[in-house]
Amino acid sequence: MPAKGVDVPHGHDIRVSDVRLALGDDPPVPVLDGVDLVARAGEATAIIGPSGCGKSTLLDVLAGLVAPDAGTVDTGGEVALMPQGDALMPWLTLRDNVSMGARLAGVPAHEAAARADAAIARLGLTGFADHYPHALSGGMRQRAALARTVLAGRPTWLLDEPFGALDALTRAEMHHVLRDLRAQEGPTILLVTHDVAEAVALCDRIVVAGPRPMRIVDDMRVDAAAPHAMRDSVLDALRTAGAIT
Amino acid sequence: MTTAPARSAAVAPDATARRRRLRPGQVALAVALPLLAIALWQVATWVFAPREWILPSPAAVAQAGWEARERLWFHAQWTALIAVVGLVLAIAIGSALAYAIARSRVAWLAVYPWVIVSQVIPLVALAPLLVLWFPPFAAILVLAVLMSIFPVVVAGVDGLRGTDRDLVRAARGLGASESWTWNHVRVPAAMPRLFTGIRLAAVFVVSGAVVGELVASERGLGALTRLTAGQFETAVTFAAVVLLGLIGLALFGLVVLAERITLPWTRRATRRTR
Repeated sequence: MPAKGVDVPHGHDIRVSDVRLALGDDPPVPVLDGVDLVARAGEATAIIGPSGCGKSTLLDVLAGLVAPDAGTVDTGGEVALMPQGDALMPWLTLRDNVSMGARLAGVPAHEAAARADAAIARLGLTGFADHYPHALSGGMRQRAALARTVLAGRPTWLLDEPFGALDALTRAEMHHVLRDLRAQEGPTILLVTHDVAEAVALCDRIVVAGPRPMRIVDDMRVDAAAPHAMRDSVLDALRTAGAIT
Repeated sequence: MTTAPARSAAVAPDATARRRRLRPGQVALAVALPLLAIALWQVATWVFAPREWILPSPAAVAQAGWEARERLWFHAQWTALIAVVGLVLAIAIGSALAYAIARSRVAWLAVYPWVIVSQVIPLVALAPLLVLWFPPFAAILVLAVLMSIFPVVVAGVDGLRGTDRDLVRAARGLGASESWTWNHVRVPAAMPRLFTGIRLAAVFVVSGAVVGELVASERGLGALTRLTAGQFETAVTFAAVVLLGLIGLALFGLVVLAERITLPWTRRATRRTR
């Protein structure tokens, strides 16, 4: 998967301008309230905000799954969305799950399977290609989900709390995997997370979202040398926005 | 890329097989309980001595069943044929209806209410009409299908509409079209629930066949129970009823077997946890 055999185009800027969205009919509930956001090409940008503030909905808008009521969205090309958890198809083997991204990108089945096998080997999952997801650990499933996203060959990855359900050790391991993938593929990444430390460890910038209906209340460049100061800045921004007390 | 090898291994097959295996005590209890019920029945017929045409003993039922084995086998084949063909039709038509109803708002509004209404009307009331409209075999088949299609449709619709949102997001988020998502995500995700409906249908289809045979046929175990009950051959009637139960049980078992073969990925997910 990484570098070899997968021609991932270089990332593009993501530009979101004054995006508004209300969901439901009776009455419509505002979810996004004038969201402005710029994620630079090749950078990893974390979105941190309180639960239920609309972060996942924003990713759905960026992925084209939901049309906004107002505002403009420019992802500069196709994006690959990785939902919360692993979201592997339980009825597919690991190989078929991983190759799904390539098959949806139009790669012939035989070639997609070969790419999946290569990805499985590089992610340390050799021997598990024919296993179903339920027989694998959380970390193994998460690696497979990341591989599926990468094999889609999209220049932009939208990662929706990808490691939220993992234990601390496995999460650290997945951070390592994602950093490697990022170094090799050079995608633009938008990472939704609740974990400031994770954002600092993986991303170049952090944007802070306020409570629902969501707006961006702060935007800061990550200083990996000062993680405690970064955490305090994020908490201050959330406190000012009324997201926490 | 250099990542550490996976730390967790898959679940060892030997361990899962050990967990699934029944203990000897459980097997003994499962066999003993029905035998105890039959023994109580036998004792009751000794103690209260009812006339055999009102309540024959299990021994009398077994003897009558053995003596009438050729007649029972002839009628059982007919009922089994109706049940199997009816179940296949119910699965085919019910699945297609479920797909249409789940996917199309128009089908939801136009078809689903009629599927529900078809279950409100007692089949016994419909049977004479169906006999007027169709030849006997077709009339019985229609009754069997009507009786068994409902759980297939309801389970199918629930399964298709209740797909895990993240599975749909994962596919759509990688560029899958809506049609691709329906056929490659929603349909396979709905299969466990659909099989729940099919298991119910496997039982109901036998009832539907019997209702049809009671009203419209000279063949089949339903017809045999009508004839033998009218001639006070109650022990043979009981034997026919036992055979009906066995046909239902066999159909149910076949569906469970088909589910295990076609959905191997559900085995661990549905296993009872301690």
